[in-house]
Amino acid sequence: MIATIDEINVHSRPAVLNRSGSLAPVDTAPAQRSDHALMLAVRDGELDALGELFERHHGPLFGFLVKLTGHRPAAEDIAQTVFQRMLKYRHTYRDDGSLTAWMYHLARRCAADYFRKANAAPYATDPSDLHYHADEAPHAAERAATRDDHALLHVALARLDHGDREVLLLSRFQELSFAEVAGILECSVGAAKVRAHRALRELRNSYFQLQKQSLS
Amino acid sequence: MNCSDARDIFPVLLDRRTAANAQLEARTHLAGCPDCQREFSALSQTLAALDTMPTSSPSPRLRQNFYAMLEEEKHAAVSRGGATAAREPRPARVALWRWFLSPVAGATLLLFGFLAGARYAPAPAVAAPATDPATQRELAALRTKVDTMSQLVGYSFLQQQTQRPANDRLRGVLTSARLENPNQQILNYLIGALALDPSTNVRLCAVEALYPHADQEIVRAGVLASLPREQSPLVQLAMIDFLAAARDHEAAPALEKISQTETADGSVRAAARRALVQL
Ligand SMILES: [Zn+2]
Repeated sequence: MIATIDEINVHSRPAVLNRSGSLAPVDTAPAQRSDHALMLAVRDGELDALGELFERHHGPLFGFLVKLTGHRPAAEDIAQTVFQRMLKYRHTYRDDGSLTAWMYHLARRCAADYFRKANAAPYATDPSDLHYHADEAPHAAERAATRDDHALLHVALARLDHGDREVLLLSRFQELSFAEVAGILECSVGAAKVRAHRALRELRNSYFQLQKQSLS
Repeated sequence: MNCSDARDIFPVLLDRRTAANAQLEARTHLAGCPDCQREFSALSQTLAALDTMPTSSPSPRLRQNFYAMLEEEKHAAVSRGGATAAREPRPARVALWRWFLSPVAGATLLLFGFLAGARYAPAPAVAAPATDPATQRELAALRTKVDTMSQLVGYSFLQQQTQRPANDRLRGVLTSARLENPNQQILNYLIGALALDPSTNVRLCAVEALYPHADQEIVRAGVLASLPREQSPLVQLAMIDFLAAARDHEAAPALEKISQTETADGSVRAAARRALVQL
């Protein structure tokens, strides 16, 4: 009754939709609508257009929130709230808006609200996200795990303060311009750049320190 | 240009979008200064590690909740013809007894019976709070029945599995994880691997592979039943995370117990406490 699964066909996952660039090539038939066009449609009452935005963005958004909070369940709750608020506040989306900037602006607020409500530390510093596949014996595997680069980086990220982590993740992953990052963080472009670089240096310091420790 | 001036240009150089605009002087300095080269390489290594950090996918609950919320809002918009506040959707929880009565349950029942039997026998320690007395009696009867078969099932699973090399088993779990619509047998296999496989890696992969199916009662029950037997803190943490993400209220007593177990790993106890808050 227990299946051996070797003979079962593996279906490929559905292709992940790319973040829509606003510059869609002209020859790709019934032009895919840009993020901005979709959100304007949502605002004007075509609520189904939010489904398309969800499909395009929930993966990267969730990834951002997992790295920001270090905690999957929290990231999922916050992602859920972000889409709720996009729907709830759709009337406030501006003609000259940028969908990603607006979404990550909401995400930042939702994360802050979440931790205020949960009255919890904004980063779970436990290794529960560390899933490694090293060797067999449990203890050897766990020792090997601590040496894993991504595990170290996870710990290093956890050691950053929340603001540093936020600016670094926003500027690095979300294809946002520094002007947009600055808008999200409500600071000047220059300040956003300086903070992002300072955060990177902090991360580098603890990442390399952890690497040294794990080798000794 | 001195080191400090050159380092001011590092952010420009490290950003793919702007690297081409960096002053020639900064590049020239970098080319000739070992100190700055070391610093630059440390920063770009950190960024490279950050860029390649793996991200897991959310559970299917996120999509379900999203579309439920969207439908609700569409109805509200139609009926009120205007803007309304979005409400938080609550996905309906499938009653356990309905699953027990379903025809596909047979095979899984054996395995679950093993897990449940080992855990609940002689009397069920944890009862689903939402079910009525009749259903509870039904469940108790089912548990007694499966108890008698449980040892046998566990034994045959172990026999079958441990004869295969660990790498094969790991590959098996990873392959199952990639199936888009795994059938009940595959889920059994994954739950079995989680409960019984001697390799920590295989068990960790199994938790990860079960995430997309957290909406299924049997999957949550399987993870919950395996938790008290689990010895590795890493796997325990993954399981606790899973149960918190799945919002499995039936996990509360087990989590409570772990959070109060003096001998349990500190981070495991902390995770259990956090998960309780989450539930
Ligand atoms: Zn120099």
